[in-house]
Amino acid sequence: MSAYVLTQAGLKVLMLEAGRDYVPATETPMFNLPSEAPLRGAATPDKPFGFYDATVDGGWEVPNEPYTVAEGTQFRWWRARMLGGRTNHWGQFCLRFGPYDFKPYSRDGLGFDWPISYEDLAPWYDKVEQLIGVAGANESLENAPDSPRGILLPPPPLRASEYFVKRGFERMGIPVAASRLAILTRPFNGRPPCLYATHCFRGCSIAANFQSTTVLIPPARETGNLDIRTNALVYQVDINRRGLAKGVSFVDRRTGEHHSARAKAVVLAASACESARILLNSKSALFPQGMANESGFVGRYLTDSARAYTVAHFPALEKLGPRNDDGVSMFHMYVPWWGYAQQAQKELNFPRGYHIEPWGGRLMPEMGRLDGYARVCEAAYGSKFRDEMRQKYGSFFGFSGCGEMIPNEKSFVDLDPNVKDKWGIPVLRFHWEWGEHELRQVAHQRRTFLDVIERLGGTAIEGTDTDGAKAIQSPGVIHETGPTRMGFSAKDSVVNQFGQSWSVKNVFVVDGGVFASHPDKNPTLSILALSWRSSAYLAEEARKGNI
Amino acid sequence: MKAPYMPKISRRTTLKWLAAVTAVSSISQYVLVGTQKAAAQPISKGYGTDPNLNNPTVPWARTMTPHQLQLTAALADLILPGTESAPAPSALGIPDFVDEWVSAPYPEQQADRTIIFDGLKWIDAEANRRRRRDFLQIDDQHRQQIIAAMARKNNGTVATAQGTFFGRFRYVVVGAYYTTPAGFKDIGYIGNVALTSYPPVTERERAILDAELRKLGI
Repeated sequence: MSAYVLTQAGLKVLMLEAGRDYVPATETPMFNLPSEAPLRGAATPDKPFGFYDATVDGGWEVPNEPYTVAEGTQFRWWRARMLGGRTNHWGQFCLRFGPYDFKPYSRDGLGFDWPISYEDLAPWYDKVEQLIGVAGANESLENAPDSPRGILLPPPPLRASEYFVKRGFERMGIPVAASRLAILTRPFNGRPPCLYATHCFRGCSIAANFQSTTVLIPPARETGNLDIRTNALVYQVDINRRGLAKGVSFVDRRTGEHHSARAKAVVLAASACESARILLNSKSALFPQGMANESGFVGRYLTDSARAYTVAHFPALEKLGPRNDDGVSMFHMYVPWWGYAQQAQKELNFPRGYHIEPWGGRLMPEMGRLDGYARVCEAAYGSKFRDEMRQKYGSFFGFSGCGEMIPNEKSFVDLDPNVKDKWGIPVLRFHWEWGEHELRQVAHQRRTFLDVIERLGGTAIEGTDTDGAKAIQSPGVIHETGPTRMGFSAKDSVVNQFGQSWSVKNVFVVDGGVFASHPDKNPTLSILALSWRSSAYLAEEARKGNI
Repeated sequence: MKAPYMPKISRRTTLKWLAAVTAVSSISQYVLVGTQKAAAQPISKGYGTDPNLNNPTVPWARTMTPHQLQLTAALADLILPGTESAPAPSALGIPDFVDEWVSAPYPEQQADRTIIFDGLKWIDAEANRRRRRDFLQIDDQHRQQIIAAMARKNNGTVATAQGTFFGRFRYVVVGAYYTTPAGFKDIGYIGNVALTSYPPVTERERAILDAELRKLGI
């Protein structure tokens, strides 16, 4: 995003990408069948989200680039080593943060307020949505802002199973909304709409969803102002005698050679934790604890999203015959957090909300996906078993919560004092602990799922424990944010409201690391909006000669 | 399946595969008789963290013996017997896939290798105990009795080797079968086709679901 904004503003940009070049138009396995892949595409340690997942050289482990986890805690760090990084595999779910989300401390005394309000970011949400294309509907919901008229593309119609489940939630007095997805349902900015087939997690060769490799980098290249160097693993921001950044040091992953690049400003967008690692490794006489870390905030207050999930079998859905449930591959509806009034009345034992992401129906058979059906058949084998499989297929439906995590003192990253990567660079050490707020919240998630399942005549077959500590998905859902947080002053944060380091004026952070808090809404749209706002500020400061 | 199972691969591939089997047969035996630690060791490399997604290859050799492959075919066809409209697993090359699965170097598949190889040995031993013949030599009725015994153990509350074998073997066969175009057709998956618009819920579907919801008091 930053490279797009800066190159459009006429600035020369060198993008240093740790992974290899990646071309979705030619590399995406669109329509390829599981039967054409090794092990029918099943997940393996080499491809933890399945063979056809877009992620290159990554997953929970990256070759030659370890990380460690403090004793007694659990964390897993998802990384990709490819141009466009994790935008090549994401849920496309695009909720704006609402007015409450920027002032959580003011509302309930927990966590931190942002130094900006919703009004500050709203115009940048508008610009992002107009650039990338977002399907959805304005629903006039509390703390889930509408977009200005004419911006959103029409949402895809509900699947039959979604229609069924929606009625169950509505019976409970819980409203259901059209999903907001960075997936095109109309031709948009020269890109074709979704084909309603083949999963977004594979990437999209026709650019009908949002990947920075299809939507941001091509126009940035067209300006002639962008150079990209791949396999360049940045590990340090270099500093000059005046205390300003003069560039970065990086290692070429293929040759192992170390290099440096000079620049008037450095923008870190390496993902929340990797950017924190770079700052912590940028030690100098001036910054012995790492750059921008005078107050010791780099690495602290790491957050993720709190999730429980449940999968259930609904006999009513067996009555539907074959229908095409592929749709846009993601959920066409979601359940926004509905409990603000209850929380205001102190009727709930947890302070922050969650939304529900529902999924199911007649999904493409994949390795493992049909075993659940096999296990609920009365016959274990034979002709009757085959008949039952045919009857039951499509009757499973799942619910995933995605809830706000309040920053806590026990969840953070620092540098491991002993372990280094292949090139001798100190690696991150994760410390992780969910707070009581999250555990009580996911218990509520689970109870809500079980309630709607029962009302709809279903049986939960996976995910039934209502003890929050057992229900919560650890470590989280790959939504790390916060370790380079923005704040009101150098005393309470790493960067200001523009992602600009308080102490090194020409260093900016534009990834999820800058989040001051992490509401239930998925982070990508807000990362893009904040990055655009920060980069526009940087371009303006450069124009004025301040950087 | 009455006739012997023939692998569903080209002759050229078969020759390559047979050569590979010969090359690794000593390792295969070692895995069969060795300790758990030995069985968990990769017998070759996986496809790596950056495989070609559009032209996939399976870099490891298949390692089942011809007898194991025949047993696999017979058992798979008992789980999903062929019908007039849907082929049996052996007609779709599913035994070859089971071989690919148990020969893969990854931990899940290596664990299944031990479970499945032990299970295949057990069904022969059980056939011999009951009928004094190998599983492939007994008739369909007696094969049914053995699979029924395993399936009961899979549903039981106490974990047994035979129950675990049945569960994992069926996991692989069911997964392999329904991920083929013929499997899609049989189970009624009609997606993975490009559409110009996504069809809303039909009147018929809505009527079915509304009736179900009424029954549930919704």
